[in-house]
Amino acid sequence: MQASRFRPVLRALREAEVDFIVVGGLAAVFNGAPVNTFDTDVVHSRDQANIARLLPVLETLDAIYRIQPDRRLRPTASHLASPGHQNLITRYGPVDFLGTIGRNLGYADLLPHSEEFDIGEGVRVRVLDLETLIAIKEELGGEKDRAVLPVLRRTLEEKKKRKE
Amino acid sequence: MPDPVSAICWRQMEPGPDERLTDYSEDGVDLTLIRWMLSLTPAERLDVLQGHVDDVTAIRELHASQ
Repeated sequence: MQASRFRPVLRALREAEVDFIVVGGLAAVFNGAPVNTFDTDVVHSRDQANIARLLPVLETLDAIYRIQPDRRLRPTASHLASPGHQNLITRYGPVDFLGTIGRNLGYADLLPHSEEFDIGEGVRVRVLDLETLIAIKEELGGEKDRAVLPVLRRTLEEKKKRKE
Repeated sequence: MPDPVSAICWRQMEPGPDERLTDYSEDGVDLTLIRWMLSLTPAERLDVLQGHVDDVTAIRELHASQ
């Protein structure tokens, strides 16, 4: 399986002016949490115009569904318009396009809880803030989410101390 | 004869016997690691993560070829 290369994926999305927010483990890392992740998770705007901008990027990235890579199934506009999760593998590794996360939170819900980060090489992306990331993981309450919560909570505390 | 400046520097680098050298939260999280990550820019944090992924991938490929 192709190993993750995070920056080229995010750059391709930005260059095509796709509206999205980085969430999950990668958002935690951008916020300063010392955690590991092997995929890129984003919540994209399900607005029709945004999906029209996103589809050619997915083609450039050679994005197919991870579940049956041999069949090379490609996501369509209707898949991307759904609130579900599109778990894809691209030329730069696994990328998940999430219609919603947590309790049905979509791009517009998360936008006020995100901030723009300079991630180097001239790329700027919107990233979910740590407070919201923690709240969503607390709500989900799964074992995987609970495992990372202590690190996220302590990172948030340390961040707040730095701002005081 | 020992260099007196080096001797002073060396003494300054040694922690005292009662000095606290680790910092863990009550739930066992290494706070020094968090502070180090927070000292980096988001771009540098991404580079750290990318480095880990690259290393794991290289090790996996090495084992696959054996």
